[in-house]
Amino acid sequence: MKSVRTSEGVQTDDDEAIARSLAGDLSAYEVLVTRYSMLAHRTAAMLGAGDEAEDVVQEAFVKAYRHLAGFRRDAPFRPWLLRIVANETHNLTRSRGRRADLAGKLTDLDPPEAEGPEEAAVATDRRTRLLEAVRTLPERERHPVVCRYFLQLSEAETAQVLGIPVGTVKSRTSRGLARLREEVDRDLT
Amino acid sequence: MTSPDEPDDLESRLLALGESLDVPAPPPTDVAAAVRARLEALPSPQRHPLPTSTDSDAGGTASPEAASSDAASPGAGSADPVVPDAASPEADPSGSGDSEPSDPDASGPASPAPGPSRPARGSRRPRGFPPAPVRRAGRTARPGARVRRRVVVAVVAVMVALFFGATPVGRAAVAEILRFAGIELRIGGDPGPLPSGVPSPLPGEERVTLQQARERVVFPVGVPAALGEPQDVRVSDGGRVVSMLWPGVRLDQYDGTLDVVFRKELGEPWPEDAVVGNSHAWWIPAKHALTYRPRAGGPEVESRLSGSTLIWQRGQVGLRLEGPADLARAREIAESVR
Repeated sequence: MKSVRTSEGVQTDDDEAIARSLAGDLSAYEVLVTRYSMLAHRTAAMLGAGDEAEDVVQEAFVKAYRHLAGFRRDAPFRPWLLRIVANETHNLTRSRGRRADLAGKLTDLDPPEAEGPEEAAVATDRRTRLLEAVRTLPERERHPVVCRYFLQLSEAETAQVLGIPVGTVKSRTSRGLARLREEVDRDLT
Repeated sequence: MTSPDEPDDLESRLLALGESLDVPAPPPTDVAAAVRARLEALPSPQRHPLPTSTDSDAGGTASPEAASSDAASPGAGSADPVVPDAASPEADPSGSGDSEPSDPDASGPASPAPGPSRPARGSRRPRGFPPAPVRRAGRTARPGARVRRRVVVAVVAVMVALFFGATPVGRAAVAEILRFAGIELRIGGDPGPLPSGVPSPLPGEERVTLQQARERVVFPVGVPAALGEPQDVRVSDGGRVVSMLWPGVRLDQYDGTLDVVFRKELGEPWPEDAVVGNSHAWWIPAKHALTYRPRAGGPEVESRLSGSTLIWQRGQVGLRLEGPADLARAREIAESVR
């Protein structure tokens, strides 16, 4: 599906698939699940579902289908779905009574800015430390930072997914960034 | 925010970091199949997404935030601990109480939901006085009216059932049967109510790659260049049908155009004559019931709802393209099949 790149195009596609899902066409819903599966897994894992992300995502898709009639058709599907994923993730971490850690492994890919093996090692090290710094952010700041930068959601989408006002997203993100900057600066000295 | 460069630097480093973060996930089509299996396993009243349709009306007039938190109410209350200061005032007025009935199993965490609905119910009984005697007096005054209304409703229902669909007479009044490209079109008469609910897969439906599909069937399998590689390919009924799926579009190609492979029940608007390349085609603009007839005979696959469809023939292969909203787009896709 390379031809659809604009978000408007995706929304039209989603809308068609949603309309058909509502008419009972499960194949159309499978298309939606296929389209958002990776992002849903990333969201669940990065908001703390850990190795139970798969269960969370399945549960979220089943719930989303059953609530599809309550979905506002002119609204984008992505943040609506991710809100359900985030809620499921939160239910899970709360029931486990453990910290919602940020899951995700650095890929072996050499960072693009690296030129030689030495520089690559330094860059990888910087990344590892930045990731560690994000992991240690308090949850209320870590979640907006994760949504904005790791999941690349807009401020409005982040607000919807986390169920907080846009202004709160802004303030917590900038507080999180400030804290990260401190950490990073401390590492450099 | 200390210098103009620094924030951008940190933000772009975070973005790059996010891109190099790997999260293990099963292949998306496997997830889709698992979700589908779970939905199919649900008892049918729970499976239908339809019963909350009144909610969606309500959501339509509400603000985006309200609608979204309403829709996401399966765990609306759960957002609170993350954001104790902000979420609760926002989540509550969104009417999680409205959507609550639609999701009886929304689990414990939704317990805040009854909160907003209870005061609403209470408000109809001002000051806590038991208003019951008054109300009951009002009700007992018209039990006769109720019974009468019920009888009328029942009689109307029986008449509707007699005239439409429930009798063989209603369904058999087909004005014309057209057979074309392996599809029987039953036109006219009363096509009956459109099927709803979860469609059954075709017999022996299997998810395959495009390459596997080509190896498993005896007829040439085409792909519409206008849509690119299909997201999902299936082979059914021992290689008789190849189905390809793109978002909102489905293309079925099937062996042989002599047998009837599919049957369509059509009412108005009537099918239109069309042309694909040099060959004749039919464009069916309306939603309709689609039934599959297995090659080995035996019972037909339960009808499902089909959207607008273009049907045509390519050599000895029948094709039906379902999903494009208008004939022009459907033809464009059909003519790009290679």
